[in-house]
Amino acid sequence: MASASVLEFAPHAASQASLWRHLRGSLKGSEYTWAIAFIVPYVAVFVTFVVYPACYGLWMGSSPALYTSLFADPIYQDTAVNTLLFLGIAVNLKMFCALLMSGFFMRRGWWVKVLLMIYVLPWAVPALPTFISIHWMLNGDWGLINNIFYHVFQEDGPSWLNGRWLALGSAIYSHIWKWMPFWTVILLAGRMAIPQDLYDAAKVDGASGWRQFVHINFPLLANLYLICTLLSTIFTLGDFNSIYFVTGGGPANMTHVLATLGIRDAFELAQPRLGVAAVMSALPLMIPLVIILMRKLRTAEVQL
Amino acid sequence: MSNLSRRSVLRGSFGLAAGGALARPYIANAAAKTATVWWVQGFAQEEDAAFKKVVADYEKASGNTIEYSIIPYAPERQKIVSAVTSGEVPDLFQANPSEIVALYAWQGKLVDVTDVVETQKSLYTETALLSSQCYNGVTKHRSFYGVPYVGAVFTNHIWKPLVEKAGFRIEDVPKTWDAYYDFFKGVQKNLRKQGMRNVYALGFQVTTNGVDPNNTFHYFLIAYGGQDIVTKDGQLHVDDPKVRAAVVKALTYPTTAYKEGFVPPGAINWNDADDNNAFHSKQTIMDLDGTISTEVAIIKDKEDYDSIVTMGLPLSNEGKPIPSQLTAANCLIPEGAKNVAVAKDFLKYFIQPQVNNEYLKGGLGRNTPIMPSIVKNDPWWFADPHRKSYTNQAVLGPTVPTYWSFNPAYAQVQTEHVWSAAWMDVMTHGMSPEAAADKAFKRIEEIFAKYPIVQS
Repeated sequence: MASASVLEFAPHAASQASLWRHLRGSLKGSEYTWAIAFIVPYVAVFVTFVVYPACYGLWMGSSPALYTSLFADPIYQDTAVNTLLFLGIAVNLKMFCALLMSGFFMRRGWWVKVLLMIYVLPWAVPALPTFISIHWMLNGDWGLINNIFYHVFQEDGPSWLNGRWLALGSAIYSHIWKWMPFWTVILLAGRMAIPQDLYDAAKVDGASGWRQFVHINFPLLANLYLICTLLSTIFTLGDFNSIYFVTGGGPANMTHVLATLGIRDAFELAQPRLGVAAVMSALPLMIPLVIILMRKLRTAEVQL
Repeated sequence: MSNLSRRSVLRGSFGLAAGGALARPYIANAAAKTATVWWVQGFAQEEDAAFKKVVADYEKASGNTIEYSIIPYAPERQKIVSAVTSGEVPDLFQANPSEIVALYAWQGKLVDVTDVVETQKSLYTETALLSSQCYNGVTKHRSFYGVPYVGAVFTNHIWKPLVEKAGFRIEDVPKTWDAYYDFFKGVQKNLRKQGMRNVYALGFQVTTNGVDPNNTFHYFLIAYGGQDIVTKDGQLHVDDPKVRAAVVKALTYPTTAYKEGFVPPGAINWNDADDNNAFHSKQTIMDLDGTISTEVAIIKDKEDYDSIVTMGLPLSNEGKPIPSQLTAANCLIPEGAKNVAVAKDFLKYFIQPQVNNEYLKGGLGRNTPIMPSIVKNDPWWFADPHRKSYTNQAVLGPTVPTYWSFNPAYAQVQTEHVWSAAWMDVMTHGMSPEAAADKAFKRIEEIFAKYPIVQS
């Protein structure tokens, strides 16, 4: 029995030893202990602050009944449309304008540097006070914008925050105003990495500015632009501040996006599971984005 | 460095674990006399100071410790939801918003505090007691799950100088409901003629945010005779023609005033404080709002403070007194609290009339007592014209409890802002008040179906 057992388990034991050696790599003795000691805090933090909350969230939003009641809610239906509009318009407009602005800031001259410094201010200042200020400025009755409007045209301006589309548009504008400088700087860095020789050679060949953009900038920046757009889409999907502090999700809950609806459902309705489900419903959009982003990041290693 | 081995790491880990285990009994023992309390930050600094004094006096008298956190309204609400969901709860917190006492009692997540309420039961108003007696969906019976400690009602705040500037006197304000609020439309028209472009008659909270729109709707509902939409037995009566007629009227008056330009256009997106802001900036001539925080907020500006008139509710259109719907603020002890005994002991101390009175006076009388004997024995409550009017209305006048006390379903009706959504249907979606009422009834019936109350 004993010998049979040894024969039976010997290959298994050998493969275990091989696996053990593979895991240890070239580490020996106390080196291995130190490696474990160094990795334990990271693993502990990762498990505590990433794995556990993610699993807890998945567990909280795991009941199909939650999604039945969520999808039947007219506020959720509006919210889903708002989220898609917010992503589609805000991200693309912001990235395209950032691309144009990065070209402008490539110009030489001290005044361009000064302008760039002023231009990045919206991104540098804290988000909450600025969004609250925008909310006040947009007040249709006594806000700064409509007061100026009245003084110039002797007419009352529109009620920016009292209708769905104007309010959503105001939130999209605020988001672009806040985040366009950041992406401009990123794309500016990308442009600066393009060797000057290419432009010099193009000039020798008589290429105009437009042709230089089409044949040099566009192909070399394409991957960076795409990666930035994907990243921005992921960030914007989680953007709570632009909506919450500019429109408050109103009027009549007509301008919520998934990030703000989740908070409303969780804390204002005191239904945290429903709130988690609202946020989780973005996963079918979020997961493909992350996968595409990862693939593009691999591709980008060989470009630029 | 060479001394560190796998064994030494393991030894150290076991040592730490053993040390932690041995230390636990001491920590637990130390916590036995300590209660953790989450308290909402006051509207005025004086309120926080008043609470701190209550705590200091209690600690001195009892030897127990109250570890309190004073937290702004919205974050406290989020902390409560998170705590109750996760089970990591403090020993005591306020019902924030008020209706969570009904929701959490229904879910069996609150400790029965009947023994605390019993200590002062004879002194409380009936409305206050009803506001704290909620139905437990697990045990299937009604009991005290909150300890009421202050009350609040909606009252009228009026800028006297604006009324006079329009050529009227405060004495001209009519006594019956519709005529009362119509009066301010005339004030607005006259002020507009004098070039005041952005002045509006009425500061009605016709929004879908916060607690104010729910209360505003209920005051109109009760004024129009719809008081019995939910009765003490927890039953819903939306099929009662009298209730339906009142609901339609309550959906009609504020929305018509809004559409006709007598309520600021931004009111459909206001938060709870925005009507106060609009009133303070004299954008609205009058405001129907809870507590006298509107006045207390500017108490240091004597000229403005004295320019406001605080006025109780007008009579119904038929000339009968209208009861004020009183929201009693409750203290709650969640299930899972580690120091229930200390929390209860603190509450028994806190609701003693003299302690409760000093706490409320420290808060400048923004909220009122819910024990009439307190105001009857202390002339302070009548020494100021705002306080006097408010005390007469909220403590000595007729009051009714909130509907969620009768059935927790109504708490969900409020958190979902079903009535505000009906207002929106009328104001922005062109729906008739009748159609909006029917749509709201359908939703309310769906919600009530989820909260079956067994009659005892």
